[in-house]
Amino acid sequence: MTRAARWVALAAVAVGLVTFPYWSAAWETSRFATTVLRDMLVFAIFALSLDILVGHAGMPSLGHAAFFGGGAYAAGIASQRLGTDQLPITLAAAVLVAALLALVIGLLVVRSEGIFLLMLTLALAQIVFAIAFQWTAVTGGSNGLAGVSRPTLFGIDLSAPDRMYVLVAATFLVVSLLIWSLMRSPYGRALTGVRENERRMRALGYDTTRLKLSAFVVAGMIAGVAGALSAYSQRFVSPGDAGIGTSVQAFVMVLIGGAGTILGPVLGAGVVMYIQRVLSSAIPVSETVLGLVFIGFVLLARQGIVGLGRAAYARVRAP
Amino acid sequence: MSPELLFQQALNGLSFGALLFILAAGLSLVFGMMDVVNLAHGAFYMLGAYVALTVVQFTGSFWLALAAAPVALGALGLAIEPLLLRHLRGRHLDQVLLTIGVSLVIVDQIGLIWGREVRSLPFPPGLDGTVVLIGGVYPVYRLFVIAFGVALAAVIAVIYRRTKLGMLIRAGVEDAEMLGALGVNTDRLFALTFAVGAALAGLAGVIAAPVFGLQPGMDVDALLYSLVVVVVGGLGTLGGAVAGSVLVGPVDTFGKVLFQEFALAVIFAIVALVLLFKPTGLLGRIRIAR
Amino acid sequence: MGGFTKMNGLAAKRGYTYRLTRRQFLVASSAAALAACAPAAVTPGASGSPSAAPGKELKIGQLLPFTGVYAELGNSMRRATELYLRQNDQKLANRPVKLIYEDDTNVTATGIQKAQKFIDQDKVDVMMGVVPTPLAYGIRNAVHEAKMIFIDTNAGGNALTRDTPDCKPACKSPYIFRSSFSSYQISFPIGDYLSAKGTKDWFLAYANYGFGTESKADFTTGLKKNGGNVTGEVAPPLGNADFAPFVTQIKNQPTKNVYSFFSGADAIGFIKTWNQLGLPAAGYKMYGAGFLTEQDVLKEVKDLANGAITSLFWAVELDNAENKKFVADFQKQYPLLPDVFAVQQYDGMRALDEALKKLGGDTSDKDKFSKALEDVTFKSPRGDFAFDKTTHNPIQDIYLREVKTTGGQTVNTILDKIAKVTDPGK
Repeated sequence: MTRAARWVALAAVAVGLVTFPYWSAAWETSRFATTVLRDMLVFAIFALSLDILVGHAGMPSLGHAAFFGGGAYAAGIASQRLGTDQLPITLAAAVLVAALLALVIGLLVVRSEGIFLLMLTLALAQIVFAIAFQWTAVTGGSNGLAGVSRPTLFGIDLSAPDRMYVLVAATFLVVSLLIWSLMRSPYGRALTGVRENERRMRALGYDTTRLKLSAFVVAGMIAGVAGALSAYSQRFVSPGDAGIGTSVQAFVMVLIGGAGTILGPVLGAGVVMYIQRVLSSAIPVSETVLGLVFIGFVLLARQGIVGLGRAAYARVRAP
Repeated sequence: MSPELLFQQALNGLSFGALLFILAAGLSLVFGMMDVVNLAHGAFYMLGAYVALTVVQFTGSFWLALAAAPVALGALGLAIEPLLLRHLRGRHLDQVLLTIGVSLVIVDQIGLIWGREVRSLPFPPGLDGTVVLIGGVYPVYRLFVIAFGVALAAVIAVIYRRTKLGMLIRAGVEDAEMLGALGVNTDRLFALTFAVGAALAGLAGVIAAPVFGLQPGMDVDALLYSLVVVVVGGLGTLGGAVAGSVLVGPVDTFGKVLFQEFALAVIFAIVALVLLFKPTGLLGRIRIAR
Repeated sequence: MGGFTKMNGLAAKRGYTYRLTRRQFLVASSAAALAACAPAAVTPGASGSPSAAPGKELKIGQLLPFTGVYAELGNSMRRATELYLRQNDQKLANRPVKLIYEDDTNVTATGIQKAQKFIDQDKVDVMMGVVPTPLAYGIRNAVHEAKMIFIDTNAGGNALTRDTPDCKPACKSPYIFRSSFSSYQISFPIGDYLSAKGTKDWFLAYANYGFGTESKADFTTGLKKNGGNVTGEVAPPLGNADFAPFVTQIKNQPTKNVYSFFSGADAIGFIKTWNQLGLPAAGYKMYGAGFLTEQDVLKEVKDLANGAITSLFWAVELDNAENKKFVADFQKQYPLLPDVFAVQQYDGMRALDEALKKLGGDTSDKDKFSKALEDVTFKSPRGDFAFDKTTHNPIQDIYLREVKTTGGQTVNTILDKIAKVTDPGK
């Protein structure tokens, strides 16, 4: 395939994705499929944001739900307190709050590495969860934040399921493209450099701490976007959105799909959500299955589905 | 707070801290030796409690359970290390991730085998009474937990300093690779370390069961608390685990009572504070933060 | 007939009947209209109206937890559902029943999506279940907009059957009914009753989460009605493991009467610690909302709970013909005693059955369906059962019960009854 052909194919896929509710309308399952796909894409954005840290910057975090939840609550609370459903306002609130949380937590953890980073992010994210769960006057506490309104953009009401989906799918495309180009920019290369050899990067004159902190904040902001989309889609925010289960879920998605790629986290989100939300209705799927699949990938296919695909492709091309 | 109340709450905090020590000791040991933070530690703790429940149901003996659960968990640890972790040696982060999968499987299997009802273990006969202390009666069992924690710390300290095994562990914590180069069978040593860590988690599960009960989700709480203890105390050293437990137990107890509105956030706030001022944790040598 | 429905499904899947109508409703703007006409819109091309006509299969979507902390509640409610159907030849009114269970896995987002599946994909005739209040609040708008008849068989948050400002966090709906209780019903009456009997000073202990704080507030209102007074409180976080710090606080204050709201593992921890720290001997007395001393708790703490006085709308020992039969039948089918969750679900099935009988099994008109449910009354294991027509919350008797151990069995014995308690929702 030529470069141009590849772009055309990608664009076709993109258009197909965004217009899914319309061309699939003929199917009996279209309506439900649309909501499942919508939630998959929300989680794909979330997993992509985590992968900036895990795959690109080499900063494994088990506390990423703090920013997802932070964004979700910010969007929900902003719409309720300010009495607005303007997307730019509520989304800005989500991004701002997520960025602030990421900055604060990032400042505390950014000089840590590997396992330490994993533990610290896990522990510090729990503070955000605790606030969500206990600060009832603001967050609704354990009952969650119910009745979040769906947004309007430039006077267009996005509350209908089809439009809500289009918003999510379009955001997903924008975020994917953004991360893709960011990771190919000098900034992204510097980040990869930090992952591969931080000391060398420092010797070359990079302020690696600042670089890592900025990655943490960018990842947090995008997670905040995903959180806001989740709040609009569900019309509900639960403290669990900021909890350890959500963090682990995103991590599993990134690892299963393949860290350090764009396709990987998306596929991972698709697979995990499909298992949890769709397959679970047909056959009893347990955490055991998910756990075993995860163990299998860590042991045998650390590069995830994308890595397996690449290996298979390479074998086909070079017999 | 009256002096009596202060005294009683301090005892509550100390006994909780003693339990945290039993729980965190295994996590700390495994980390010190293998550089692996075992995120299945909470699942091991939970499994220990459920094994104890079954043993008590069939034999009626808490003491048998106190022996059986660590043995069972030790055996499990002895299997998991060579079967799974060993393949990833040197890739510490992947080993940690692997333990997430292990934890998912164990917790789900516990639900399938034992059910998901809330359960409780009776206090062992002889320790179910109370004694009169300052300010009124106090449960014997909680004093027993304190004594058990202190005794365990003492035993570990003696093994650490006075035995060949302890010497190997100390050397391993310093430099595990060097041990291998010196002809020590590191495969066996690592399997044994992981087994002892699992056994300690199981032991904590038994000790905690009469007080805290058994239910789905107990694994996550235990894991979070033990992580907090080792991070606050300092990773990979016995002293760190002791210091972390002695600080976290009472602070959590008083924090919950005095700041009910932020009860859930208290211990995690301690993590942030300690790391801000002492990046190695209280008694650690490794810089965790900054 | 089964084959025939399957063919209809196939035709619809291939889009023969659906495409046209789908275009039509792209024109329709509001989500509510869209959701409401969807099931009806599919069917005209197919023969008749398979989901609504009498005699056709009745699809009931059951949204319950089968994993996580509430799994045992889900299991119990499933048992009750299947017991009711077995007693009624697997039919409600004249319609054979198809049950579709979905596990919310104790994750709200998953539960919300499963409810959407019932509405959009399975197109069930009625939805039941839901254990946690947050999930009930979370699905409220979707259910209401789809005009899906939903019988809440557990979640007790007050707002679900009340008129609330801006419908936050939730509010009543013509299509939502509740066969369980509101937290008001298990908290206000006992506060009112106890303070009227002359005990004015109370100390409170409650799990610090939505349901606990709601229960505490309603109890306090009940107290104050008769000049009662709260002298202090402790509020452990939900799922708190160590109760000693909190019980120690109770023990170091002078008010001997303690009202508490805990359930499940928290209740077990509270009661055990209460005894461990010697509160009974020191003259403290335990009161609470009924879940404090339900079967799941009593079977673990046994006589440690003796003397505790709690209020609930049912007890295993309740002496009426329906309850005796229910308990006996349940035990014949399953090797255990029914619990209050089973009763809630069983009554939900019964209410549905009675409404369907009045409708001749026709569920196509959701407003008629709702009216039929509003008029349902029957003798339940808990006593007389009726829905409050304005809120759809049950009107029910509340029983004062005391835990006693006789002949090795620890049970709730009935002390008194507060008749026909209605939630004050408008």
